[in-house]
Amino acid sequence: MKVKRLLPALMLGLALSTAPAALSPAFAETPADTLVVADVIDDVITLDPHEVSEIGGVLTTNQVYQTLVSYDVNDPTQIFGVLAESWEVAEDGVTFTFHMNPDAKFASGNPVTAEDAEYSIRRIVKMNKRSAFIITQFGFTPENVDEWVKATDENTLVVKIAEPYAPSFLLYCLSSYASAIVEKAAVEEHVEGDDFGNAWLKNGVPSVGSGPYIVSRWDPKEAIVLERNDNFWGEPAPLQRIIIRHVGESATQRLLLEQGDIDIANKLTPDDHDALASNDEIKKLEGLSATIYYMGLNVRNEALGNDKFREAMKYLVDYQGIVDTISRGTMEVHQTMIPRGFLGATDYNPYSYDLEKAKALIEESGLETPVDLGVVVWNSPPYTDFAQAAQATMAPAGVNLNLEVVDGSQWLSRYRNADLDIWMGLWGPDYPDPHSNAKAFSVNVEDAPDGSEGLADRFGWDAGDLSPRTMEAVRELDTQKRQEMYEEIQKEHTDTSPFLYMFQELRAVGVRSNVEGIVLGTTFADDRYWNVTK
Amino acid sequence: MGQSRLWRAVRRLADGALTVAITLLGLVALTFFIGRIVPIDPVLTIVGEKAPQAVYDRVFIELGLDKPLYEQFFVYLGEVIRGDLGTSFVTTRPVIVDIGRFFPATFELATLGIVLGIILGVPAGVVAAVNREKWPDHLIRVIGLIGYSVPIFWLSLMALLVFYARLEWVGGPGQLDISYQYSYTRVTGLVLVDTAMSGDFAVFANALSHIILPAILLGYYSMAYISRMTRSLMLEQLNAEYVLTARIKGLREAVVVTRHALRNAAIPLVTVIALSYGMLLEGSVLIETVFAWPGLGNYIASSLLSGDMEAVLGGTLVVGAIFVFLNVASDALYRVLDPRSR
Repeated sequence: MKVKRLLPALMLGLALSTAPAALSPAFAETPADTLVVADVIDDVITLDPHEVSEIGGVLTTNQVYQTLVSYDVNDPTQIFGVLAESWEVAEDGVTFTFHMNPDAKFASGNPVTAEDAEYSIRRIVKMNKRSAFIITQFGFTPENVDEWVKATDENTLVVKIAEPYAPSFLLYCLSSYASAIVEKAAVEEHVEGDDFGNAWLKNGVPSVGSGPYIVSRWDPKEAIVLERNDNFWGEPAPLQRIIIRHVGESATQRLLLEQGDIDIANKLTPDDHDALASNDEIKKLEGLSATIYYMGLNVRNEALGNDKFREAMKYLVDYQGIVDTISRGTMEVHQTMIPRGFLGATDYNPYSYDLEKAKALIEESGLETPVDLGVVVWNSPPYTDFAQAAQATMAPAGVNLNLEVVDGSQWLSRYRNADLDIWMGLWGPDYPDPHSNAKAFSVNVEDAPDGSEGLADRFGWDAGDLSPRTMEAVRELDTQKRQEMYEEIQKEHTDTSPFLYMFQELRAVGVRSNVEGIVLGTTFADDRYWNVTK
Repeated sequence: MGQSRLWRAVRRLADGALTVAITLLGLVALTFFIGRIVPIDPVLTIVGEKAPQAVYDRVFIELGLDKPLYEQFFVYLGEVIRGDLGTSFVTTRPVIVDIGRFFPATFELATLGIVLGIILGVPAGVVAAVNREKWPDHLIRVIGLIGYSVPIFWLSLMALLVFYARLEWVGGPGQLDISYQYSYTRVTGLVLVDTAMSGDFAVFANALSHIILPAILLGYYSMAYISRMTRSLMLEQLNAEYVLTARIKGLREAVVVTRHALRNAAIPLVTVIALSYGMLLEGSVLIETVFAWPGLGNYIASSLLSGDMEAVLGGTLVVGAIFVFLNVASDALYRVLDPRSR
């Protein structure tokens, strides 16, 4: 008791004549009809659904816009219609016909027609913003999209793609945040020049979607407020309002959650989760994230271009040790390119820390130790933790990692320009089809139908026959066979590629115990809040 | 005679304006070139790391980054002179609108902080100087030293833990409880003023309960500096011969200290206070982060990390202008306080 009274006096060194107790009203819980979410949203630069890609932006548009189809986050193989009621694929494998759901309505009350869907897909392709590649990889260009995407009547949308793929591939991409359907008439009223209404829509406040919520205000770097869509055509959301507040610091999120001033804390560190474990007013929701952490080894570097040396490095990370001591419940060991939970995932984890074996492999490689390598690391956990752990376990084998700890933007730009030896990084798929990862990690530019460079090219690696085989897998129509193809490709890929896969992320969100009905997606952006009650 | 005095005043004003202009120009140039040399790529913030090269290249050109550096600078300078600070690509709003939004939060926090800093720091410094090398002096110096050396980040978290989470004396991070957040009309942007004007005492009390803790921390921080400076300025005066004269004359010690020594110490003290106020007005990034305070410091820092240079430059210009203004104001105050400089 004494200590409690002394501490504030000591800390501040002043006796306040104004008793602060008089100032504080009784601490209200968050309002009963409002869900308050703390997250890091100061990087959100747009709420135009065809431009968003930061977590906070996608999290918002996912509550506000809908897509033609969607999938069950707990079982991505279950694809179901949303704005499209049904669809069929023609014999040729490239013509998809979607039949719109006649009940679907926008927040304005107007029906969602095939013309809106047509307009939305054309808008994605013609604006060609940063997430448009999810759609354009099917061969759409601003020139051909008017021809290839057509509403044949109010209820029917016909989409043609360049070549046949596994049908689920297109469906997954159409279920992505990037493929939201917007109300054509509303957007067209605000077009300036050739901007497709982007300047107007990016501010977010006008919602032209059909989802359970509408954006009511966006104060950049502060908060995003969503209100229930009273014209929603499905089951109305139980809560009237969602407020996503920017709280940058994990410890601050924890205090707010403990006090009941927020309902959900999305960015808690393992330490803060541990500290909350004994609090019965808080529960920890856990789920699987599709994010994979890896080290990209640039094979343009002499040592990293050596196959034996790369193999040796894969034995020089104490994967399990990191999971047990540093990441505690936020990571699991995962050493292949396709995340658990996706079609074609395997539990092939061949590497563990083995110093002797690594030394022998380095001997075989013919390289002189010590070898000095730079690692570009984002100055934030868990990257710094992983890098330091790897540095410690690689040193005894004569592999010296020099950590170049930089801020996030520089970290990305060094990686984009391949201006590095090793990148300590992550990859999150853009849609829940294995091709999202497989294309990135094992398709070279000459095999990519849209001519885009993937990670293999970025790290200077020729994937050999893995590259055409990966493209074959996405064209395989038989799911069982496709799955087997991915399993085989991945084993070879893990053994030979310059990607030192380490972990798959596990999601953990701190939630007040009275909050029910959150559906956790495979990324933070995928979370679905419209069935939440409290 | 009268004319030459007017002439002198005009010249002084012109000199002042020129100094201000050169200072601000130098500031813009320095910030601009540092911002461009720093290896932060604004295009990546806009397109993300997965966009194809073609998208990257288009945005690169849209931002005008393909032009030579000096050309970019003159384009920017031209805009600033026309009063256009540009548009932040992160918030999608004009920088001037953003600053109008974020600066008031910092302003009211800094003002409360400096007032507390003066109220506590000046008397503490005087007491320390008068009781030199005795226990009050030691105590005040230790308290000041702690304020100076303990990381403000840690101190803020501890203060939140104690006063918000455990004792529940004050409101938590943020400017208001979430239930009050959108319940008043934003007029001046100063939450205390706006909530008071709304006439709803509960909202005002809530705002006060949120600002008090970060304000005290800022106040403590500036108190540490102000009390140290006051102490040394006072010691200088107390050792001066005129003080000895006053004492020999038999004046009471209280009169010697307050009427004579403090008044003379006050002149340089004005600069000390003006500068620490300026520092607080820049916005303390760490305090603003811990307290989830939507202020200018956070705005500039997060803009810098996104390579949002228009926002950084705009923010820096405003901070620069504040410093210039505070300098001019303290010069003016000098003339009031010090008859010799009139």
